[in-house]
Amino acid sequence: MSYLARALPKRVLAPSVAQSLRQTRGLSTTTLQTTPSTRTTQLTPRTNQPRQFRHRSYHSDLHARLPDHSYTNSQTAILTSALAHVPTHGFSATALTLGARDAGFLDVSVQLLPRGEFDLILFWLASRRGLLRGKVEEGGLFRRIAAEKGKDVHELSVEERVRGLLLERLRMNADVRDVWQDALAQMSLLANIPLSLTELHALASDILTLSGDDTVDATWYTRRLAVSAIYASAEVVMTRDPTPDLVETAAFVERRFDDRKALADKITGIGQCAGFGWNTAIGLGRSWGLKI
Amino acid sequence: MSTMSTRSAWRALHYSAKRRAFQPSTPYRCFSCANRVQEQKPENDRMTHFGFTNVPEAEKEIRVGAVFSSVAASYDRMNDLMSLGIHRLWKDHFVRSLNPGSCLPALTADQRGWNILDIAGGTGDIAFRMLDHATNVNHDMETRVTISDINADMLAEGRKRSLDTPYYNTSRLDFVEANAEHMPHIPDASVDLYTVVFGIRNFTDKQAALNEAYRVLKPGGVFACMEFSKVDNPILDGIYKRWNFGAIPLIGQVVAGDRDSYQYLVESIERFPSQEEFRGMIQKAGFMIPGQGFENLTGGIAAIHKGIKPIVKA
Repeated sequence: MSYLARALPKRVLAPSVAQSLRQTRGLSTTTLQTTPSTRTTQLTPRTNQPRQFRHRSYHSDLHARLPDHSYTNSQTAILTSALAHVPTHGFSATALTLGARDAGFLDVSVQLLPRGEFDLILFWLASRRGLLRGKVEEGGLFRRIAAEKGKDVHELSVEERVRGLLLERLRMNADVRDVWQDALAQMSLLANIPLSLTELHALASDILTLSGDDTVDATWYTRRLAVSAIYASAEVVMTRDPTPDLVETAAFVERRFDDRKALADKITGIGQCAGFGWNTAIGLGRSWGLKI
Repeated sequence: MSTMSTRSAWRALHYSAKRRAFQPSTPYRCFSCANRVQEQKPENDRMTHFGFTNVPEAEKEIRVGAVFSSVAASYDRMNDLMSLGIHRLWKDHFVRSLNPGSCLPALTADQRGWNILDIAGGTGDIAFRMLDHATNVNHDMETRVTISDINADMLAEGRKRSLDTPYYNTSRLDFVEANAEHMPHIPDASVDLYTVVFGIRNFTDKQAALNEAYRVLKPGGVFACMEFSKVDNPILDGIYKRWNFGAIPLIGQVVAGDRDSYQYLVESIERFPSQEEFRGMIQKAGFMIPGQGFENLTGGIAAIHKGIKPIVKA
């Protein structure tokens, strides 16, 4: 294949190579990454792609990862400094102003963030999501989760990984849990709901992808919905959790995952029951001589 | 009847086509007469638009001056009538979104209070609102506003109005008569917030004014501008244009007794660049654009533009 690729003219090649790359995914990506200099001509359409489709809502091994947020350098500087003031001042204009001062800006420079406090909340969510991914890519996180359960990393099921990641993400909120209710209130304002939900979906999607969930059927949606629902409800529980290591929240999450499993079993059972019933009805009809 | 009229029209066209004046392909070459010299305009006499008419740049300032001198006294009443009172909501929103004044104690002495420059704010509409917001909302007694306007009559109106405010004759309010394109009396990097509300439309050279704004702002300082803009909804746009060109000059004639000034007003609104073009001009002056860069008000009849002067890291 690679020989053909080099022999054929470039213009004809680009789409067909992309096609074949998609089919033989694992192999091609590794070869492409190790020898980029020999294949630069075929690489061009791929490397251009992230810039063309900035808002991609799926994960692919073939594309470079999108940045966690789309803030500019100056905005990131202000927001990063402002996060240090969040535990004391909450997700507020005061924290933003203090952050701007720390970053060497003026009080008036918070105008750089058109959404104000909500930008601070979004930045918190997006940056924590990036940190979570970083922890997984380092490799230490799953090893720790496995060690807690007394297992090897490879023995961890997808379900266990999802639970571990979700709890890890909740623990990142430990510092801000006293002010998190205000943030939840901000996020639930009508104008802010779409972006908040987008961020929640991104988190659920990241957690599932990082756990190695590769379903492509209808459960793609239900899984994300379930993880989102559990995370969102656990966040509310977390704000009222007085225990130091979020023990109550962890127990809550475990119960919700059990509920989810029970619910999924029930739905499967009901589906099976309905299927049997339907088959019986058809069999009965046929035995009566109906032409079904 | 109709065939006759079309025929006559055709004949007229045909006739005029035959009698078209001869146009030489080469330029005029008669050196012996002075026609050519008379046609040439002096170098500095570049043209700019004054409403829908073109006038020399030097003249625009005078003519705009005449317009605003004539409307100064009835400015507020006319604004209320023309915008059905909405301009007050826009101005309140503008000031609230800027949130002038520091609610936190300053770290150093020179950080105390904001230094606000309100350009083309002769009547003090924006300045008084900003001082009120700083004082009442942020409890900041240090923030000061310098009202700068090119028109002495508008400034006189503002001075008259400031008598009724608690800021009259204090160091927090200052009036300066200046051209926003060239302000040598204001040092570099000395202003926190530069605002121009419904004024930049009348400037002869908008880019020069933006460059001057960039010069006087501190690094991290904000340029904020509210101006009439382009309506994106075609139905609203139709109604808005009809109102602008039909009603406003008439209201001007009846209430202020000055039709021409208000005719200029609506024409200048029409000539002002769109949101995207103006954002490009702000960017060209060197400002950072936050997010989308503009916020449409009432479907784009007015828009708030913002730019932030970047901090250069040593």
